[in-house]
Amino acid sequence: MKKNIHPGDRVKISLPNEDYSGVLLESTEPGIIMLKLDSGYNIGLNKRDILEVRLIKKGLDIKEKIELKKDREKRNIAMIITGGTIAARLNPRRGGVDWLDTPENLFKFYPEIFDKVNVIKLEVPFMKASEDMDFRDWKKIAKTTEKLLRDSNVDGVIITHGTDFLHYTSAILSFFLRNLNKPVVLTYSQRSIDRASSDANLNLQCAALAAISDIAEVMLVGHASSNDDFCYAMPGTKVRKMHTSRRDAFKVVNARPFAEIYPDKIIKVSNYRLRDNGRKLRLDTKFEEKVALVKIYPGQSPDILDYYMKKKYKGVILEMSGLGHAPTKRARIGWTKKLKEVQKKGLIICATSQCIFGRVNPLVYSNGRELLETGIIYLEDMLAETALLKLGWVLGHDEWAKSKEKIKEVMLKNFSHELNDRLVE
Amino acid sequence: MSEDYSKLKFKAGLEIHQQLDTSKLFCRCPSVLRRDEPDFEVERKLHAVAGESGEIDVAAKYETEKNKKFIYQGYDTTCLVELDEEPPHNINNEALKIAIQIALLMNMKIVPITQIMRKVVINGSNTSGFQRTVLIARDGFIETQSGKVRIDSLYLEEDAARIIEKSKEKIIYRLDRLGIPLVEIVTAPDIKTPEQAKMVALKIGEILRSCKVRRGIGTIRQDVNVSIRGENRVEIKGMQDMRIFLDVIKNEIERQKKLSDEGKPTKMEVRNALPNGTTEFMRPLPGSARMYPETDLPLLKISRNFINEAKKTLPALKSSIESELKQKGLNPEMIKLLFKQNKLEEFKELSVVMNNPQLIAKILLIYPREIASHRNLSSKKINEILNSDVLIFVLEKLKEGKISESQVKDVLEKIVSGIDLEEAVKFEKVDLEDVESFIINLLKNKPGLSEKAYMGLVMKEFHGKIDGKTANEIIKKLKKP
Repeated sequence: MKKNIHPGDRVKISLPNEDYSGVLLESTEPGIIMLKLDSGYNIGLNKRDILEVRLIKKGLDIKEKIELKKDREKRNIAMIITGGTIAARLNPRRGGVDWLDTPENLFKFYPEIFDKVNVIKLEVPFMKASEDMDFRDWKKIAKTTEKLLRDSNVDGVIITHGTDFLHYTSAILSFFLRNLNKPVVLTYSQRSIDRASSDANLNLQCAALAAISDIAEVMLVGHASSNDDFCYAMPGTKVRKMHTSRRDAFKVVNARPFAEIYPDKIIKVSNYRLRDNGRKLRLDTKFEEKVALVKIYPGQSPDILDYYMKKKYKGVILEMSGLGHAPTKRARIGWTKKLKEVQKKGLIICATSQCIFGRVNPLVYSNGRELLETGIIYLEDMLAETALLKLGWVLGHDEWAKSKEKIKEVMLKNFSHELNDRLVE
Repeated sequence: MSEDYSKLKFKAGLEIHQQLDTSKLFCRCPSVLRRDEPDFEVERKLHAVAGESGEIDVAAKYETEKNKKFIYQGYDTTCLVELDEEPPHNINNEALKIAIQIALLMNMKIVPITQIMRKVVINGSNTSGFQRTVLIARDGFIETQSGKVRIDSLYLEEDAARIIEKSKEKIIYRLDRLGIPLVEIVTAPDIKTPEQAKMVALKIGEILRSCKVRRGIGTIRQDVNVSIRGENRVEIKGMQDMRIFLDVIKNEIERQKKLSDEGKPTKMEVRNALPNGTTEFMRPLPGSARMYPETDLPLLKISRNFINEAKKTLPALKSSIESELKQKGLNPEMIKLLFKQNKLEEFKELSVVMNNPQLIAKILLIYPREIASHRNLSSKKINEILNSDVLIFVLEKLKEGKISESQVKDVLEKIVSGIDLEEAVKFEKVDLEDVESFIINLLKNKPGLSEKAYMGLVMKEFHGKIDGKTANEIIKKLKKP
């Protein structure tokens, strides 16, 4: 193909038996040229069948000027865009992906948020799918959030994020942002924003309301059910992605949402920290990366712990069976001896349950008592994912990490709703 | 007074939508329409999204301005895909095969690499806000009595949810129809008279019905595009009622003529055919800006092999099957019955075992009916017992010479009465000498009877143990001298 022909250009493509004309698109597979016919349908043509591609007309990049006016009647928020489905938009004219990373682009897709609030700042620390993030990205998000919250014109912050590991980000921000004084709202979309049915529309409207509410918490705002009627504001440490594709993928586990948020009202559901501009926000992003999460399964060998020892890990969260069990002395391959050994050498072992719902309790069965005696720290009703990040955060603090007693004490201290001593469901 | 359509520069093209008789196109739910109470309801809203040019499509805008609430009714026969809560599964290969067969019957070129598209539809009839559609074939033709009509394109697409109730603030849709595979056939604007339009519609209908398509009300929908004097085209929906077909087109021509005479332009729009033969405005005609790729699915590659597979089972048109059967010596009555009882497939299957159209027609159509009435059984029950496996077994025994043609009906009787297959084809062999001496005695004791009468007596005596042909030969042989 000639160098001056680009996706978006109108071309005529000659094959041995026929000609096609249409708009050239970005190729999605090597060896195949994609063409948009005048009917709007796309077809593929094998490169090796093509005799000639002729330029008919250069494509125009249409750039609309949108002026965003600040409305004095409305309250101000800031947004942080980090990537994910909610910020990616397919450009069908070219075939590639565009990011929604300016207030103007955002307005084009979601004029409804701007009916509710002024988006006075928009930060894009990076554009990543959530599965590609790690603690360094969380630190960046926390830092950006802190900076925006320090601006007295900003009443709250919305962070848009991919869904896969969104609950990890919400959990770690709950620990990183100490003494929170304003709302920090994470939201997402499960359906791409190019479709009229995208869940992002309701999620963003409700997130805007949450961001100017009195809920001074790190919360995840998203569909409460498959209906497009209201969202839940969910505690950042008590939420988990529970479905691969539904709009209401995120569920509160072992707690209740802070509130139900409708596009036009907020109904309080449980207690939360109230907005207080006098409170001094503190950023605390110390983090020990050498922590791991291990899921226990039947017949599993404890040798895996040797690997973590060798790689100098400091702590492991075990996602145990039922009330908090792993194979014991009575099993063909038991864990008791190995657990004693690694903890003696200084590895911190904590227990959560792979049941997801409910509290761990090692005292009910003799197997549990045997495992408890090895020194495992049982983390009550904490989610395994939250536990992993809390352990990383705790071990990141030298003053806490110096003794196992201190670690246990801090792990079982409630910082941000991660522990709930009254389970009602 | 008849119109001079060529002077009017009358141009028309058809768009025909036909449901295919398979499970759904992008999930594995059955294609069943429900009349019972829904199992659950979901409430949704749609909002118009800027298209590729940054503009909201006119049709999309028109629909969304209503800002309606949509209620979707679901059943145990719908899944998360219809609810727009799960990405589409791979395209239904059976539906793809049928679409290709229809395309081949219309002499079309199959598109080897094609992309499943999202066509923006935000009146709520699609939970996703778009209809999935894919170009399968282009550039074909059909022959009609009034000449060749080019077929522009054939698309495979999802049917929409159906409206149950509509009010100012909400529309209730049922999800049962959403996702049923449809083919959309678009003719070129080659049609020169309303009468020809009707002929083309009927011809395409015949082609569709020869393939595996759903039958009955609502399974086929027709739109007609009409323009005169080089003006904009108008799309008329709901033209499936053949009784008003011509009237609607003629009335639309009048409407456009009046506009044109008054110097007003014809607007690009979609109109709805009414039972009285007139039309009403529905919405503006959507532009091509509403199409973008279905990014949840890979490119659809239709291989040579797949097309060849489709060709192997390519159905013939009813008209050509009829003439073929006639050549084989079946009478029109039998041919009609074959179609009526939907036994064409079995007929072909059995003809492979034994090339005896007359006999096969009998064992498919006549014998079962006789046995059913004789034994007081339903035809459904008989067809269950005498399924094609059983009939093939019987034909094979006949081919091997284990039974004779005249014993076939007896064998079937026995099978229906519950006798084991292997047992049913066993006949006591009669010593032919016994038969001969019986006949000699018969001729002696009852002289002067007709051959037919003797036959009757012989068959009565040796019922089932000797076939009629043999008996007849012996009678003839002994009677002569």
